[in-house]
Amino acid sequence: MARKTVFKIFAFCLAVGVVLTALSKVFVLKTVHTGDLQEGLYLSDDSYDVVFMGGSHMNGGMDPNVLWEKHGISSFNYATGGQPIAETYHLLREVLQKHKNPVVVLDVFYLAMSDPYGDDAWISIPLDNMRFSWNKLETIRDCTPPSEWIYSLVPILKYHYRWSELTINDLFYDNSARYYAKGFGAGTNRYGKPMTAFADTEEKASIPAKNLEYLNKIIELSKSENFPLVFVNLPCDYSDTDKDEDWVDDCEALFNTVADLAEQNGIPFLDYYDKIKEIGLDFPNDMNNAGHLNVWGAGKVSAHFGNYLKQNYSLADHRYEPSYAQWWTDYRKSSAYCVLHLPVPSGV
Amino acid sequence: MSFVSFRFLLFFPLVTFLYFVIPQKFRWIWLLAASYYFFMSWDAYPVLFLFLSTVITWLGGILTAKAGKRSDGKADFLKKAVLAVSLAANIGILCTFKYLDFFGELGSWLCAAFGVQAAAPRFGLAAPVGISFYTFRVLSYSMDVYRGDAPPERNLGKYALFVSFFPQLVAGPIEKAKNFLPQFAEAHSFDLERAKRGLLKMFWGYFEKMVVADRLGKLVDTVYAAPQSHYGLEVAVGTVFFAFQLYCDFDGYSNIALGACEILGFRGSENFKRPYFSKSIKEFWKRWHITLGSWFWDYLYLPLGGNRCSKLRHGLNLMAVFIVCGLWHGAALSFVAWGALHGLYQVVGLLLRPGKNRLEKRLNIRQNALWFKAVRAGCTFVLVDFAWIFFRADGFRQAVLLIRNLFRFDPAAFWNGTLFGLGLSAPEFWAGVVGIAVVAAVGFLGRGRDLRESFLSRGRVFRWTVCTASVLAIVIFGVYGPISGSGQFIYSQF
Repeated sequence: MARKTVFKIFAFCLAVGVVLTALSKVFVLKTVHTGDLQEGLYLSDDSYDVVFMGGSHMNGGMDPNVLWEKHGISSFNYATGGQPIAETYHLLREVLQKHKNPVVVLDVFYLAMSDPYGDDAWISIPLDNMRFSWNKLETIRDCTPPSEWIYSLVPILKYHYRWSELTINDLFYDNSARYYAKGFGAGTNRYGKPMTAFADTEEKASIPAKNLEYLNKIIELSKSENFPLVFVNLPCDYSDTDKDEDWVDDCEALFNTVADLAEQNGIPFLDYYDKIKEIGLDFPNDMNNAGHLNVWGAGKVSAHFGNYLKQNYSLADHRYEPSYAQWWTDYRKSSAYCVLHLPVPSGV
Repeated sequence: MSFVSFRFLLFFPLVTFLYFVIPQKFRWIWLLAASYYFFMSWDAYPVLFLFLSTVITWLGGILTAKAGKRSDGKADFLKKAVLAVSLAANIGILCTFKYLDFFGELGSWLCAAFGVQAAAPRFGLAAPVGISFYTFRVLSYSMDVYRGDAPPERNLGKYALFVSFFPQLVAGPIEKAKNFLPQFAEAHSFDLERAKRGLLKMFWGYFEKMVVADRLGKLVDTVYAAPQSHYGLEVAVGTVFFAFQLYCDFDGYSNIALGACEILGFRGSENFKRPYFSKSIKEFWKRWHITLGSWFWDYLYLPLGGNRCSKLRHGLNLMAVFIVCGLWHGAALSFVAWGALHGLYQVVGLLLRPGKNRLEKRLNIRQNALWFKAVRAGCTFVLVDFAWIFFRADGFRQAVLLIRNLFRFDPAAFWNGTLFGLGLSAPEFWAGVVGIAVVAAVGFLGRGRDLRESFLSRGRVFRWTVCTASVLAIVIFGVYGPISGSGQFIYSQF
């Protein structure tokens, strides 16, 4: 009798659990990153020689289609807005399941976030789009407060309110409007204001403990998984974030610490904040807003970074390989082609 | 730890499982520990006041019994003295937390009326959760023991469990000691059929609270947060929605509490019997918050003389009981006005009764005619709902403003979509209306028959399909979670 009761309870919970899990996919909020992450993590069969990881600065700063057009480098941008470094670590582990030994380019901007978790709405974006795995469970454990675990584990409990706004796209999600961007997403706004330049400083600011822990984990991972790591900081007006309560006060001092740490570990660190003149960035015209590059700014930074990669890593040029013909089809839909008008080379 | 929280969904099965696993003689200890943990999950320090109330009334019970055995003629005096101390201490604690600022303000206002300027200090004490409910529970124990209706409980632990029993701690039902205390001495074994019935009751409670009450609450909050900006239909819909929000919130809470009791083997008292089907205000109070009404009946209305006195005194008794009832709900003039209005309804009802009876006779109206019952129920609902304005408004002045705005009618509100801009989109609004219809339909179908029994006698496929669909309905259409927000139970504030 007792065994039968337990079985019935278990069967009922299982049935409800299966239905809720299936429905969760429908209810999860679909953002521009949904299509990007699904493409980069699970749908695409391409192999990427370079992967970009980090927050919104990286997402709108490095355009894989520019790297493709100029150097034939296959790359994908996995960065999403507001991504804390702990989540970047777990997302990188997810990426490495499929792509072995790529050059991993890490946006270090979010090392300055002092909140141990960050904004739930941002954290949810990678989490909601990761398939169920041990790594996902660890991501939930490390990146969300315990009171939020259940919502990350069964997303319908968080997104059930969307029942009245569901569309056919939620039922049969289609990323055809995004896949060709290879994860990159920048605006076409012109900021129009000059940068509030910060004075150079020799000061060093501590990296918040949790961020340092996960930065070290990423460094360890690069050694154990044998992939090259590059640190990048993209141009932005720090005066914006310096005002935030959950942000380190002196970003310049923090990046000095990052530079030291990179040097100690033999990791290149490209701080584009200091290279604005070198790459010819026109802040008012090449920024989408105070913190993010626009399509034109990203084009300049990506072109510079492509040159850097070509000079320092032996990356294959896939442009003329027949198996990469689809990349040119994708390229013709990209902002690099449609907005920057970078030409398609002859003979491809 | 609210009933509507994942913590409770882990807490309750764990408590239940261990309750039936551990030996009978230790079970009350386990329930007591669980109840105190449950209480302290809100805030730890008020547990001192809970314990203080428990000890005072427990000691009072023992001393009352001891005094009753005396034969030197002082028994009555001593019993009265013990009861007075017990009542004064508990009402004192309740007043300190709930009414100190209110009476201070009232004092200042009275002084000002006589031309004396005196500003009373504001203490802003946060009342321990469920204080009004557990205080009434201990007071009923003290009075039952004094009257000899219940024997004193010798075991402090078991008495403490009666006071703090977690399913009923936050918002009742307000059990009387003579009915509930003996149940802690009973041996309960796990009964699957009883557990199924309890779970169904809990399910229904969650549906009422999460799908209906909290959804309606969004529109109600929008209207009542800015009474100066809403008129006519908006206020009317907000007030009708509040009537159902409050009912679904409190009946939902009571069903979860009673379902939990039933699973554990306890028989709790029903708090609601389809109150909005009442055909008079008097009947309404026999169907709404029954355990509170019964408390006031036993311990205030009857001791005041009830209706076995002059008409004037009867009317005054009714007014006194309902004003205290209003004050019990909250330390504000608007609650007093709400209570007074209900008292007034009843007094006017008494005065009009002879004329009403004569008119019904002359018009040859059959009391049992469906249309007549529907009209009476409709009129009662209008009166009750009108009074809810005072209950819900943030103060007396806001209530008056809302009533004034209620009669500034803009017919365009029927078709220009105004109603869908009050915190609920059109689909959410209609979902709320469907929720009300479902609650009303279940109430209607439940007249004179046990719906749970009917459901459990159906085939397995039907039962499983309905249960799974119900869980999914609560998960999908419920209002909870980090984005859509989750409300505490309204009555837990009292």
